[in-house]
Amino acid sequence: MAKTHEGDIPFMKPKVCILRSDGTNCDQELYYAFEKFGGNPKFVQVNELRDKSKKLKDFQILALPGGFSYGDDLASGKILAIELISFLKNQLEEFINQRGLILGICNGFQTLVRTGLLPYNKIGKMNVTLAQNESGHFECRWVKIKLEESKCIFLNKVSLPKDGLDIAVNHGEGKLLAPNKIINKIEKDNLVVARYIDRNGNQTQNYPYNPSGSIKAIAGLCDPTGRIFGMMPHPEKLVDVTQHPNWRRFQKSEINLTGKYIFDNLVKFASHS
Amino acid sequence: MIATIRIASSGKTDSKGQELLAEIKRTFKNNSITSIKTSKVYRLEGISQRDVKKLAEKALYEPIDQIISYRKPIYKANKTVEVAYKPGVMNPEVASITKAASDLGIKLLAADSSYEYAFFGKVNENLISEIINKLLVNKTVEHIVKTPPKTLVIGGEPQKTKIIPIRKLNDLKLMQLSKDKLFLNLEEMKIIRAYFQKINRDPTDCEIEILAQTWSEHCVHKTFNAKLTIDGKLKKPLFERIKSTAKNNKKIIISAFVDNSGVIDFYDGYAINGKVETHNSPSAIEPYGGAMTGSGGVFRDILGTGQGAKPIISTDIFCFANPDMDSINTPPGCLPPAYLLRRVVAGVRDYGNRVGIPTNNGSIHFHNDFRAKPTVAVGSYGVLPKKSATKKEPQIGDLIITMGGATGRDGIHGATFSSAEMSDKTMNISGSAVQIGNAIEEKRVIDAILIMENQNLISSITDCGAGGFSSAVGEMAKKTGAEIQLAKVPLKYPNLAPWEIFLSESQERMVIAISGKNLKNVEKICDLYNVPFAQIGKITNSNKLIINYKKEMVANLSMQFLHNGLPQRHMVGRSKSIKINEELPKKIKDYESIIKKIISHPNIASKEPIVRMYDHNVQGTTALYPFSGADLDAPNDGVAIKPMLSKPYGVITTHGLNPVLNNIDIYWGSIWALTEAVSNYVAIGGDLKDAALIDNFIWPFPDEESLADLDKSVDACVDFANLLKMPFVSGKDSLSSTYRYPDGKTLKIPPVLLISVFGKIPDVSKTISSDFKSTNSIVVLVGKSDLKNLGGTIYFDITGSKSAKIPQVDLKLLPKVLSTITASAKSGKILSIHDISEGGLISAISEMCFGGACGASIDLSQIDKKTRSEFILFSETPGTFLLEVKDEKATKSLFSKIPHKIIGKTQKEKTIKIKSGKKQIVSISVDKLKQVWQKPMKEIFHS
Repeated sequence: MAKTHEGDIPFMKPKVCILRSDGTNCDQELYYAFEKFGGNPKFVQVNELRDKSKKLKDFQILALPGGFSYGDDLASGKILAIELISFLKNQLEEFINQRGLILGICNGFQTLVRTGLLPYNKIGKMNVTLAQNESGHFECRWVKIKLEESKCIFLNKVSLPKDGLDIAVNHGEGKLLAPNKIINKIEKDNLVVARYIDRNGNQTQNYPYNPSGSIKAIAGLCDPTGRIFGMMPHPEKLVDVTQHPNWRRFQKSEINLTGKYIFDNLVKFASHS
Repeated sequence: MIATIRIASSGKTDSKGQELLAEIKRTFKNNSITSIKTSKVYRLEGISQRDVKKLAEKALYEPIDQIISYRKPIYKANKTVEVAYKPGVMNPEVASITKAASDLGIKLLAADSSYEYAFFGKVNENLISEIINKLLVNKTVEHIVKTPPKTLVIGGEPQKTKIIPIRKLNDLKLMQLSKDKLFLNLEEMKIIRAYFQKINRDPTDCEIEILAQTWSEHCVHKTFNAKLTIDGKLKKPLFERIKSTAKNNKKIIISAFVDNSGVIDFYDGYAINGKVETHNSPSAIEPYGGAMTGSGGVFRDILGTGQGAKPIISTDIFCFANPDMDSINTPPGCLPPAYLLRRVVAGVRDYGNRVGIPTNNGSIHFHNDFRAKPTVAVGSYGVLPKKSATKKEPQIGDLIITMGGATGRDGIHGATFSSAEMSDKTMNISGSAVQIGNAIEEKRVIDAILIMENQNLISSITDCGAGGFSSAVGEMAKKTGAEIQLAKVPLKYPNLAPWEIFLSESQERMVIAISGKNLKNVEKICDLYNVPFAQIGKITNSNKLIINYKKEMVANLSMQFLHNGLPQRHMVGRSKSIKINEELPKKIKDYESIIKKIISHPNIASKEPIVRMYDHNVQGTTALYPFSGADLDAPNDGVAIKPMLSKPYGVITTHGLNPVLNNIDIYWGSIWALTEAVSNYVAIGGDLKDAALIDNFIWPFPDEESLADLDKSVDACVDFANLLKMPFVSGKDSLSSTYRYPDGKTLKIPPVLLISVFGKIPDVSKTISSDFKSTNSIVVLVGKSDLKNLGGTIYFDITGSKSAKIPQVDLKLLPKVLSTITASAKSGKILSIHDISEGGLISAISEMCFGGACGASIDLSQIDKKTRSEFILFSETPGTFLLEVKDEKATKSLFSKIPHKIIGKTQKEKTIKIKSGKKQIVSISVDKLKQVWQKPMKEIFHS
């Protein structure tokens, strides 16, 4: 584990860099989720990495939150991806080489895809895209996903929930698209971490259960090392019972906190590695 | 040289094209066009050939799902139309293109983007021009590109300051000067003339414009501050009466009617603030930009409160003509309602979602009397530390800083124009008053200001809204004085006249005053958050507003004359008598079809397709969603959020309005809106002791009749607030809901009283939703229904019935009913609750069944044995509630002291069974009813 400044307790809270740019707007709930599950999150502006007043290598986890980076007026996450490739390529490569973990949610996932970090960890080479939803517009709704056995390094040793998990989607461009050859390779390499499912628990192309029309119902991906992970839906928006849109219809114990699976396991993994 | 690139989707889906095609079929019932393909057009100026390709490949074009063409159009179609923003109109994409180029090390002078539509099938020029005019192009901000532009750079020389020889003008010429530009009346123009005669000089154009802006109805609320004589009786000014309600709950108020929003107490050393604005005039002529800049403006009002508050809720309430109104009825110069609806929704969506404030409360009302001008109300709520919650005066010597967007010619005369009535010429004359918002600019400014607030760097802050710098600086330095150097203001293009710089309402700007010692830190924060800023002047002790442009002084006005020179008006109102011949509905033969008509009435129909496009749970704070229930599609009465994620504290907000009633009985129509707003509030678990009220009066031009109406509506507000011991803390009037036809006839838009309630709740887990939670539980009607008066109800509307008697609230009983509901909510014994509102009992019970995915059997004879069944089922008495409670024992323990009737039970079978005693009235499938209820908005939004 990398050295931290706070002292010498054996299981340090892993430091999380919540990377903000103009238009980031899901940073507060992401911060709260990391904090709740034992992380030590810090807000970092891209400008602070660019001027080196803060350094990526001082963190164990890099988290890219949702939002509309720089407005998302071209493709979503595109401008931030260009900025990361143009100015922070070395820092990112160094961070990956020192076995850092990267999480991208929604706009963060779009950015990781557009930098080429997902799914094949090649900065500057896009293999898949996240295109406009088939509905043609922004979708804000709750759907179900299933976490799958995958390469994802902090999920592949833990027992995954058998049932689907409730999760929020809040995006206009989440339809994963790629040539068949790439999709087949992604499947073969076990890179699909989460898929949208219907009421019967089956992966689905049907709207609104699959809110974007994403190919093979893919909701989240990791890279072959399993250390870079991104998803369109928002696990950080369900870490407390009252964040669930229907908590009043259930006993508290019946509500499966989707965020717990992601953040608890991610933070635990980071603090033990 | 300008390089042109076109990019289109390579896949089958082209949602922009498909949506337009669907809209063409819906609007013109025409199938001759078979498909529409769209391409994005990028124009790049001052860039090398090699860099064009580089920029395209790295930033604009993704080969996985796109095709690209350099120079030529992508599609060979029968007709191709390119739609672009007019030069000078904000196109947020340009900033993205410029940043991408700069990050890639590419030299680029200017850029633009637009859309090209290729029409396939039988293309008829008339149809194309109809499509362009009604669906595709808003001429206020967009144009068809016929020949490619030669340059994208807006050049030119700054215009000179002019002297207006006002001292010599006679009354006629004074009014010519005012007309369509200053919107001041003769009396006001004469005061200005006399003032300059007294000081022995003529004013500059800048001075005249500052006076017109400061004295506009929009900014100074002449009517609300006027002395009144109503029906021969002298009455206190409206504003004074509303402000007097502060006495009702002093404990909760931190500031009322003095800051950019109303501020009340929260928990743990925090305060919450609320503001509801209207943006009707801009939205009438450019709905997309109008709604965007409305949202942007109200977020800045929240931000600009105290020393800076964080916006946490966005709300939107609209009134339009019926989307299916025959287009013949759209008045000249006005836009069709379906277009307005879709574009307003898109504006709220594209702005609020980007800024990342959950848009989670709102409603839409339809009535054809809104055909000339819609009501577009946008609200926002925020949270801030109590220590920063009271506005401070700036100190003499403080620096005046502008932050955020550059200044352009957009939005000039917004304040004066929105104070005027609308006509067929409004779009041409006032087109420049409208603009497109840039949400990311606003988001940057919000992020930076909250950091500055946290570091205590701000002496004083205000938003730059209507009236631009003129209003912001003029207000901020009202008690001191200020000197401004306009040459320091960052401009979008160079050819602005000094007065235009000072008056421009360009969006996303905030003005702050800071002590010189904080300048370095302010600069550092602005740089970190990429916020453009400039020091444009100083706070002085001169009691003068002095404006310089380079070496020339363009204005030198006494603050005293500017802010106190306008005499209080004395206005006279006279009540009109309304004659409505009563026509009662016939006995119902087919209940099912009547119920379906009610439930699919646009006012009742589900608005879910709209809410699903708004990000309503960004920030992770939403604890009571706009929709919940088994299928997450049943509407709730309001919204609750948890602004501090680690604390249980909640902010709740609800609202109420029913403009149709105001045309029948203004006093009781207003009471209806007020009761509806507070009923929603208590229904979701709120306690009125912890809440405050916000008013919005959206009124026709205050002629004698409309002024008398306004007086009665204000009386209703004050009576009601006093009755419930509640304060008004913020409000807004917009008195220009009058349209003038080319022949001089006027159309008065119905007066709208919109009441919003916001407040705090110690624990969000005590809030309640409307969906039935279980089967075999008891359904109780609480409160006293008015079963006689159904004038203005949906039932009367669909049956063409008329009555001058609208639903009356039993005001004696109401406080007790509301406090009992609050106490029951706290007890945790209410499983679900819905207030009775438009559509009556049937619409409440249906929505509760939709949410529960269950049915219910109801016996109307439990409510009343003598009244016509349909009156019981369709009466719309606010202040009455439908509740689900476990059993009779619980019912007794909760409601024994107020009128209540156990009227039935929930059931597993998904039907609603209505009987009266032994007589079966109707049995209707819940699923079928839900389909009918969801259909209207699904059609409009193609979802």
